[in-house]
Amino acid sequence: MRRAHIQDQPATYERLVYKNTSLYHYMRISLQLENESTRLSAAQLKQLICSGLRDLYGESNVLQTSDFPFYLLSNQTFPLFRSLFLFVSFSGLVKLWSALTLLGSYQNELCSFRVTQVSPFLLTLSGNSRELELD
Amino acid sequence: MAVFMDLNITYTTDKKRLRSVIETAAHLGYSTVAINYVVDLQQKKQEIGKPKCVLELFDTFPIVQGKSRPIKVLNRLTVVASDPSHFRPNAEYKAYDLVAVYPKTEKLFHAACMTFDVDIICVAVTEKQPFFFKRSPVNGAIERGVFFEISYTPAIRDSTMRRYTIANAISLMETCKGKNVIVTSGAEKPLELRGPYDIANLVLLFGLSEGDGKAAISTNCRAVHLHGETRKTALGIVHTMKKDQPLTERQEEEHVPVSKRAKIETV
Repeated sequence: MRRAHIQDQPATYERLVYKNTSLYHYMRISLQLENESTRLSAAQLKQLICSGLRDLYGESNVLQTSDFPFYLLSNQTFPLFRSLFLFVSFSGLVKLWSALTLLGSYQNELCSFRVTQVSPFLLTLSGNSRELELD
Repeated sequence: MAVFMDLNITYTTDKKRLRSVIETAAHLGYSTVAINYVVDLQQKKQEIGKPKCVLELFDTFPIVQGKSRPIKVLNRLTVVASDPSHFRPNAEYKAYDLVAVYPKTEKLFHAACMTFDVDIICVAVTEKQPFFFKRSPVNGAIERGVFFEISYTPAIRDSTMRRYTIANAISLMETCKGKNVIVTSGAEKPLELRGPYDIANLVLLFGLSEGDGKAAISTNCRAVHLHGETRKTALGIVHTMKKDQPLTERQEEEHVPVSKRAKIETV
C-alpha cells in the first residue's frame, strides 16, 4: 500500500541515449620514413594526408570538409620520431584511418603511418604506456 | 582475446631484411609470424625445398611489444597451381607448419576447398579474379576449417592493385559472409607492415563487421595455426571446434561414446 504522505510528484528524470561515444575523435599518429633524415612541414603533412584520402576515396570526399574536418593540432618533432594529432568527426574516422593505413609512399620514398592512439578524449592521448620507461 | 598474428612474410634470401621485417612485426604487436615460401608449380619441375631453420635467423628472438615473450616464427608454404594434379601431398609438405594454395582456376579452387589437405586458400589480390566464388565450395571449405586469405600489401604499393584487392575481397565476403577469413601482409620490407588495429579498421572497407575484422587477425589466425599443427601430428583433417586436441589424444578417449566423438576423416 502506498503511503499518501509522500510527495506525489512523479519522479522526473531525463534519459540521454548516446549512440556514439562522442562526436569527434582524436588520433595520435607518427610517420615513419625510409630515409630518416627528411623532415616534413605541417603543410606537406596535410597535403600528404589529403592525397591519401583522395587516392582512396576520390575527389568528391576530400572537398566535402563538412564531412570530416581534420586539423593538425600540433606537430612536435621528436628527435627519433614525429607525432601528430589529428581531429576528425566520428563518421570520418574509418575513412581517415583506412586512408592512413593504405598510404605507402611520399615522393617515391617508402613511408608508413603508425597510428599510436585513437580516442574520443584528447587528454587520454597524453599518456602512452608503450613508451613508458620504468626505472 | 587471441594474440595477433601475421601469417605471410615473403621469404627473401637477404637475411638482414627478413630480420628487420620480423623485428618491426614484433614492435607492432604481432606475436606470431610465418615466413612464406612460394612455389609456382605451373612451371616445369619446380622443387619444393626444405624451409630454412628458423633458429638460424636470430640468436634471440625480438620481444613482442606489450608482452614479455619473444615472437614466434613459423614456416609456411604457398603452392601456386592451376591443375589439381600438381598438388601432391608428400613428405616435403610436412616440414612446413602451414600449407597454402593459390588456385588459378575454378576447378582447382573447388578441389582445394573440398578435398585438398591445406590450411589456407589465397585469394587473388594482384589481378582480376579469374573465376567467381560459388557458395557450395566456399561453404564446404568453411565446414572443413580451411581459411581464405587476403593480403593487403599490394594495396599499399599500387593503386590498381588496391582496386583489385577491394573488389575481390568484397566478392569473397558476399559469398562467405565474413566467416573463415584471415588478413595477412605479404610484406617484403619492414615499412610495408601495418599495425593490427589498422588492419582491423581496414577490413571494414571490405564489408566485414568490426568483430569479424578483429577475428580476421587474431582468432582465425590462431585456428589456422592449430589446423596446421594437427596435420603434423596425425595426418588428419580435424574440425576445429571449441577444444582442439590432436588426433592421437582423441583416440585414447575410449570412454567417450561414439555418438559424441567429433567427426574425423583421415586422408
